[in-house]
Amino acid sequence: MRISLGTLRIIVLLGVFAATVLFFASQIDGYLNARLFNRISGSVAVIALIAVGQAFVVLTRNIDLSIGSVVGCTAYFTGGILMAYPDLPPLLVPLLAMLIGGIFGALNGFLVARFRLPSIIVTLATLAIFRSILVQSSDGSSITTERLPVWLTSFATQNAFSIGELQMRWIVVISVVVVLVAHVFLTRFRAGRQFFAIGSNPDAAAFAGINAGRTIFLAFVISGALAGLAGFMFLSRFGNITVVAGLGLELKSVGAVVVGGVNIFGGSGNVLGVLIGAALIDVIDTSLVRWELVSEFWREAVLGLLILTAVAADTVLMRRLLKRKTDGGQQ
Amino acid sequence: MKHITVSTLALCAALYGVAANAQAVTADKGGAADMVLLPKFLGILPFDQANRGAEEAHAELGNTGTLLYTGPTPENSVAGQIEILTTAGSQGQDVVMLSNNAGDQIGPAAEAAQTAGTKVVTWDSPIPSGQGETVFVAQVDFGSIGVVMADMAHSVMGGEGEFAVLSATPDAANQNAWIAAMEEALKDPKYANMKLVDTVYGDDQSEVSYNRALALVDSHPNLKLIMSPTTVGIQASAKAMQDEGLCDKVKVSGLGLPAEMVSYTMNGCAPEFALWSFVDLGYLTYYTSYMLATGKIKGEIGETFTAGRMGDYTIEEDPGRAGAKRILMGPFTVYNKDNVEAEAK
Repeated sequence: MRISLGTLRIIVLLGVFAATVLFFASQIDGYLNARLFNRISGSVAVIALIAVGQAFVVLTRNIDLSIGSVVGCTAYFTGGILMAYPDLPPLLVPLLAMLIGGIFGALNGFLVARFRLPSIIVTLATLAIFRSILVQSSDGSSITTERLPVWLTSFATQNAFSIGELQMRWIVVISVVVVLVAHVFLTRFRAGRQFFAIGSNPDAAAFAGINAGRTIFLAFVISGALAGLAGFMFLSRFGNITVVAGLGLELKSVGAVVVGGVNIFGGSGNVLGVLIGAALIDVIDTSLVRWELVSEFWREAVLGLLILTAVAADTVLMRRLLKRKTDGGQQ
Repeated sequence: MKHITVSTLALCAALYGVAANAQAVTADKGGAADMVLLPKFLGILPFDQANRGAEEAHAELGNTGTLLYTGPTPENSVAGQIEILTTAGSQGQDVVMLSNNAGDQIGPAAEAAQTAGTKVVTWDSPIPSGQGETVFVAQVDFGSIGVVMADMAHSVMGGEGEFAVLSATPDAANQNAWIAAMEEALKDPKYANMKLVDTVYGDDQSEVSYNRALALVDSHPNLKLIMSPTTVGIQASAKAMQDEGLCDKVKVSGLGLPAEMVSYTMNGCAPEFALWSFVDLGYLTYYTSYMLATGKIKGEIGETFTAGRMGDYTIEEDPGRAGAKRILMGPFTVYNKDNVEAEAK
């Protein structure tokens, strides 16, 4: 039996995920039930979109730290536009949000690709700049649920279908579809493989005639557009958008990408892993609140520790399994 | 006999002193004082309302100095506040009006500003130790907020059952003081059948608060109420309960803005909540600061002054913080379905 390295990594991640859930089930009464899925799937849907966008960027040896501010800005501006024009056709709204996010992403991409500036510096700066734009243009007022169209605020809780008590919400379905499309694009299409090529060996990619600048620019635009879509879901889910919306999401997305097995130095990774990584972080975060052993002040530290443990367990398991595979003579 | 006379004289002098102090000082218009209004961070409605109140007072007093509304961005609140306060001191601003989000960490910076001649008047949220603080303009008596929260919980829950608190950040001085005051109030036998089972923090972010509210419901199957003493938390909790169809089981109460809470109050998810006027708080804070800067008051206990349209206020000892001084604004309004719609407009 031949299992590819990528598949093996997914299996290991699923194992770690199952172990985490079982651990919390042993610690918290009434933990394992359909409600847990319904609760966590909604917030994972938002994080997973951002994390997939982040994965595109990380694959090309870059990073997008501005993503939290992009989510905040798109949620706020989309909400503002809807308050002014409540009759916009619903299908147009997510596209509008992706356009706004894409513009922010294009700005990042332009600065990084055109001037060859380090992305960590560029996006650290735009993280602050985008947030300040939001603070200044909001003039202190927030978007409130009352002034948004009803279809929007109820969208986040609408089910596509349900299996027993398990509710599959539309935002979850959309998010999973985005992950699958990204996966197929990255693994089956020439244009998708270019992201790996740039990250794993830029010189070889250049010799192969791949335009590095254009690919990196595209990665940032994709990251921005997906953050825009996440911003739309964020707006629908929370309704009330203040200037702090999306604060700290950049760290969560980087966390999901790294836990999901994407090499932080670019060139390798799998967005299915990123989805599991996003789910794992959210499960840990949500469950810690319910775990009585951990006080509020230690929660962040314990979350960091558990992420470290998850990554370490993943690495160790991978090494073991790889070794066994090689010993078995199947490389 | 002589002894009595002396005593009487002393008593008269003492009474005269009290009477003199009770004479409210009024502000001289047209003075020059440079003022900085420093909120926890920029971009949230309550702080913007406070700024409106400060601007109203600024115009009314004809201050020839400047009123600068500035604050850190949300992700940089603690470090940003300390930096702005330090800068204001070295720029020679006359007063910084601070809603403190940095706990006691800001104390040394406030003290340095005082040494440089900049007065530090806190409002909304004080410096817990009182270090470097001239006076605190309290929106309401922190102890009575505790009683009101306990009373709202009592009325919503019908006097019995489990409830939990969803606060802002773990080191927000005002919320922590209110929660402590509520716990103190709950010792009254009237609340004997009510049990506070948990306190969690939503960091004043919608998404965190929303998820924390749902986690509370999952952790405590018998939960009847979420009490959230923060405008972001109460709204996110109410939305979470409504989204998950839990409003029949778990109600929400606390401190909220009528404009953001009106639909949840009308549909029964949040039948009662309370708040004071942030516009008035900004107005009173400005008057206090202006009179300190122009030397009409010194910031000492017992001084009474007239704050324009709001009437007379007296500087007193802060019962919650030993050695610190406060000016008490009060009162606040409890909103329910009878009065929320009018206020939300």
